[in-house]
Amino acid sequence: MSQLIWNGLFVGSFYALVALGYSMVYGIIKLLNFAHGDLYMLGAFSGYATLGALGGAVPGGSLIALLAVLGLTMLVTGLSGVALERVAYRPLRGAPRLSLLITAVGASFALEYGVRLVAGPNPQVYPVRLDGTGMSVLGARITLQQLALMAVAVGLMVALNALVMRSRQGRAMRAIALDPKACLMMGVDVDAVISRTFFIGSALAGAAGVMSGAYYGKIDFLMGFIIGLKAFTAAVIGGIGNMKGTMLGGLVLGLLESFSTDWFGGEWRDVFAFGFLILFLTVRPTGLLGERVTERV
Amino acid sequence: MNRHTVPALLPASRTTSRRVALASVLTAVALSTTGCNGLLGGGSSEDGDKGPIVLGMNIPLSGSSADVGPYMQNGAQLAVDEINAKGGVLGRKLRLQVEDDACDPKTAVAAANKLVAAHAAVSVGGYCSGATLPTLPIFDKQKIPMVIPAANSNQLVAQHLKHVFLINGTGKQQAAAAVAWLRKDGARNVAVMDDNTSYSKDIADLTSAQLGTAGAPAKATEEAVNPGESDYGPSVTAVLKSNPDYIYWTGYYQEGGLLIRQFRQAGYKGKFLVGDGSVDPKLVRIAGSPNGEGVYATMTQTPQTTPGAESWIASYKQKFGAEPGPYATQSYDAVRVAAEAVKAAGSTDGDKVAASLESLKGFKIFSGPLTFTADHTLSNGGFAILTVKNGEFVLQDSLN
Repeated sequence: MSQLIWNGLFVGSFYALVALGYSMVYGIIKLLNFAHGDLYMLGAFSGYATLGALGGAVPGGSLIALLAVLGLTMLVTGLSGVALERVAYRPLRGAPRLSLLITAVGASFALEYGVRLVAGPNPQVYPVRLDGTGMSVLGARITLQQLALMAVAVGLMVALNALVMRSRQGRAMRAIALDPKACLMMGVDVDAVISRTFFIGSALAGAAGVMSGAYYGKIDFLMGFIIGLKAFTAAVIGGIGNMKGTMLGGLVLGLLESFSTDWFGGEWRDVFAFGFLILFLTVRPTGLLGERVTERV
Repeated sequence: MNRHTVPALLPASRTTSRRVALASVLTAVALSTTGCNGLLGGGSSEDGDKGPIVLGMNIPLSGSSADVGPYMQNGAQLAVDEINAKGGVLGRKLRLQVEDDACDPKTAVAAANKLVAAHAAVSVGGYCSGATLPTLPIFDKQKIPMVIPAANSNQLVAQHLKHVFLINGTGKQQAAAAVAWLRKDGARNVAVMDDNTSYSKDIADLTSAQLGTAGAPAKATEEAVNPGESDYGPSVTAVLKSNPDYIYWTGYYQEGGLLIRQFRQAGYKGKFLVGDGSVDPKLVRIAGSPNGEGVYATMTQTPQTTPGAESWIASYKQKFGAEPGPYATQSYDAVRVAAEAVKAAGSTDGDKVAASLESLKGFKIFSGPLTFTADHTLSNGGFAILTVKNGEFVLQDSLN
């Protein structure tokens, strides 16, 4: 039982980290960025490339080296996110939302098969691995590495929350989410704020990518697809556009998957996850913590 | 504003769609008539009889199993070159046409249609069963015999199609080999895991059906996972509840490596057996260095494990500058079997070639003398047990 909960929370914290980017972008410009999962994949690959370039320089303090790589990767994926927004989404900002959605799907394919061209179709194995013996806590087997990864994930989420809720930048983001036209008239640089949102969301996805690479070991160019869908599901369950809700949604989805696997078997895991997505979209489309938005005409 | 654009758009789009429909009907008619000329006109359009005999090969060159494709292509090419050097078949050269099926059913269907359009006489490809299955009716309808070198789901032969032949051991034979090894190695409580693909589920179901019967170890549980994910923690926990001392994974190496690693991290102390789709050094690399050692595998013979293949390995190395890999020998054999059948039939007519495949007697291939059963499978699967030593798969037991 406690093992099931722990498994769920651990996977859920990855989902939450990726889902935050989805949720932020949706909250601000009402765009479902389907290329977001592929930024996670890009993060895993750029982390892999960085570790490869560092070569044998990091065998000792692998955790410290990984943290450095993590920072670098967040920068790379963050900038890629900004570039993506600049090239693919900004020219379409006035266009109907459907065009943006289709562009996002196209951007996703471009990222996937672009990485495939560079890195090849075969899965790659991370040179530095977080490996460790487990310890038993309340009947659940937990490794230090899992704890460390969760700590990094939670730290990133707390930092993001502080940024959005306490800082000037965050206030601008929230203002744009409410009414971009009014912000423009009040002298807020809307384009810059949107760019910054993409930077933060993509950097978080990249961080999750590196962490997953270092923990699980295997990365491939299609790895972003499923986690992208899962992160979207998490965001919807928790309340897309709502940050705390999104984090909660990630954990809830992780727990759902963990328990459904135990009850019905692993092949039902995705059925269960996406079944819940449909359920939420029908019964409570605003998600667990999302509030009903009245459309102003 | 919208009101103006909508009516203006509609008629225009209607005429274009009508035009497109007309054009597509015309091209479809044109294509089907040319197709008929090429295929039904006795299969003997002028250049078809004098030019090279085309052997079509659908293999994964991209996607999850992309690294097996080149081995298969090289193995087949080696046989084609050898036969051409001896003057070819029926006085015509052989030509290998390779298409990428990406181990994906949709891509495989498109690739099969390409081979049909290229007037392939025989198909010598097929690695992923899930991708090969939907191509069977395409080849069978055009009377193109298939000599499938690697895919081995029982479903491939279960339809009893006249033109489909397997020169790899079937899932049934692999399951039998797995149970034989589990018994020999003293397994007591075996968990069987698959990845829900046709190939993998087939072996898993057939294996767990035999577990628990007289003389075989008990069945702990049967569990399936979704391929393509990273975290199998929930499945690992579920399987460990049944307390297995042996786990048989019948899927591919990407998930296999992750599972082995996650089982070990969860404190599992028992042994692992994996199916032939997991036989790849990457399995060990993904699993991590101590975790992968000592993993057993049910596998058809590879050049490295086949006695007497040294000279073959040498000529492969000389030609391609690298060691041969999994299914290179089977692909080599598929081409030879196909060429032999065409030679015996005296023509490239699909029905005649299929008949001569059926009447092959003791044709020598790597896994032993080949005579097809009534099901168009090998009479002897030729499965052996490999084990991982120092990160490489080596022969453990030939199960004879």
